Amino acid sequence: MIDAGVLRAEWTKFASIRATMVLSLAVVAVSGLFGWLFGNASASDYATATPQERLEFQPLDMGTRGLFIVQLLIAALGVLVASSEYGSGTMRATLAAVGRRGRLLAAKAGLTALTALPVSVASVWLMFVTSQTTLAANGAPALMPGDPAALRLLLLGPIVFTLLALFGLALGILLRGTAAAVNISTAFLLLPILASSTPGFLRDLLHTYWPNTAAFQAVSGTSPLPPVVAFGVLVGFVAVMLITAFVQFKNRDA
Amino acid sequence: MIKVTGLTKRYGDRTAVDDLSFTVPPGVVTGFLGPNGAGKSTTMRMILGLDLPTSGTATIGGRAHHELPHPLRTIGSMLEAQAVHRQRTAYKHLLYLAQTNGLPASRVDEVLGLVGLADAAGRKAGGFSLGMSQRLGIAAALLGDPPVLVLDEPVNGLDPEGVVWIRTFIRRLAAEGRTVLVSSHLMSEMALTADRLVIVGKGRLIAEAEIGEFTRAGAVVVVRTPEAASFARRLERSGAHVGLGDEGELLVTGMTATDVGRLAWAEGVPLQELAPRLASLEEAFMELTRDAVEYGVAR
Repeated sequence: MIDAGVLRAEWTKFASIRATMVLSLAVVAVSGLFGWLFGNASASDYATATPQERLEFQPLDMGTRGLFIVQLLIAALGVLVASSEYGSGTMRATLAAVGRRGRLLAAKAGLTALTALPVSVASVWLMFVTSQTTLAANGAPALMPGDPAALRLLLLGPIVFTLLALFGLALGILLRGTAAAVNISTAFLLLPILASSTPGFLRDLLHTYWPNTAAFQAVSGTSPLPPVVAFGVLVGFVAVMLITAFVQFKNRDA
Repeated sequence: MIKVTGLTKRYGDRTAVDDLSFTVPPGVVTGFLGPNGAGKSTTMRMILGLDLPTSGTATIGGRAHHELPHPLRTIGSMLEAQAVHRQRTAYKHLLYLAQTNGLPASRVDEVLGLVGLADAAGRKAGGFSLGMSQRLGIAAALLGDPPVLVLDEPVNGLDPEGVVWIRTFIRRLAAEGRTVLVSSHLMSEMALTADRLVIVGKGRLIAEAEIGEFTRAGAVVVVRTPEAASFARRLERSGAHVGLGDEGELLVTGMTATDVGRLAWAEGVPLQELAPRLASLEEAFMELTRDAVEYGVAR
């Protein structure tokens, strides 16, 4: 399915421009920083909390709130895999060399997954470590990596992020421009923030069924849906986006 | 060999390429000539599988571009020379293209040497002059050592030195037996580079022939004689077309100078001048595309 040569070419492209490499490092650095910041903030909240609040304190959720921001960066990484070719005009040269468009898109999806996964692992794990050590150092409760909730985050969190990078790739192919695709992806991923201020079914849609929140809730175990279903919402959504991008990409002029 | 058959491309109401058919044989440079907006670039993009034809086909050695397992090994191309990521080095740009077709990295060094960019391999393409970008574009086209080459306006915007370099290079590629299609909107450039011409205007084929045929088609024989009127009638009875020049000279078409001279001798007509004159390619081109210039300046 994925041609090794075309995949290697995608890596050469990814590794030979600044934006993609800088963004990859930024994702990890920002994750570490957010873990520390929210760890500190949550620890001081804990210090002044009532006994009842202390009982309900969720060190994992509080410490890793930054993931909601970092998801935007990882989606942008996927966007760049497609949009950097459109921005510089190399898409035509690439397609004249590869010919079969499905083969090119498969390689781009492969490269996106292969780069986003290690970046996501580093990001989620680093944020977990910095947030929980900061909490513990400031006298607040903290989770160890062996805790079931922590384990779910450490194993499934990077997969959610990688899927969001593929969502970014699909947008980059569909919209052909970095700015447009990043704006749309950011708006889409942040929309659930409005959930609490919207009424009825819209609230349910944004809070429970919106692809990124559904998956994050499956990871944190707070979804009203069975975890497989909640996770499946994101997987299905990304699959539909990629198929739409493929159909568009195959049938339009380069 | 490239074979274009009934190729048509419409954008809404506008027809960019209109039922175009022509062939590009190996071993010679075929000039693809037409005024700006005539559909040359669109045709090239369809040959390369980048734009999808509304109807018709374009094949390379009998196969459509999307049927080629390793396109660069069959057809090399340069469309927009400056379509290179500004931060990427010349070497990395060529390397990624080579990798898509399973070509070794050593081939990148070879083509950089071929176009004289070996010293600039590690430099970022954003800092290249237009001339260097064109060389990089040619290097990319040559990566797969392809038997077929398609180059869109390769001399556009180059300094005289660069023009001569590209022209010489293109002629050499054809002499190696490759099929070479080069577009230009400049007849004078094609006169120096091409062996054959495919002339288009408003997306339609206007003419396809050897360069010599164009100049012969517009050739005239200039005749000066004191008996102009009667000799003109005699010539027309023999099947020639006769026009009158500014100074009363006869401009004869459809008959060779030898035959005109022989006729004058037989009729006892004294001649003061008998001179064959080939049309310049520029004249032939203007004549052929007069009706097809879409955005031309009113004359």
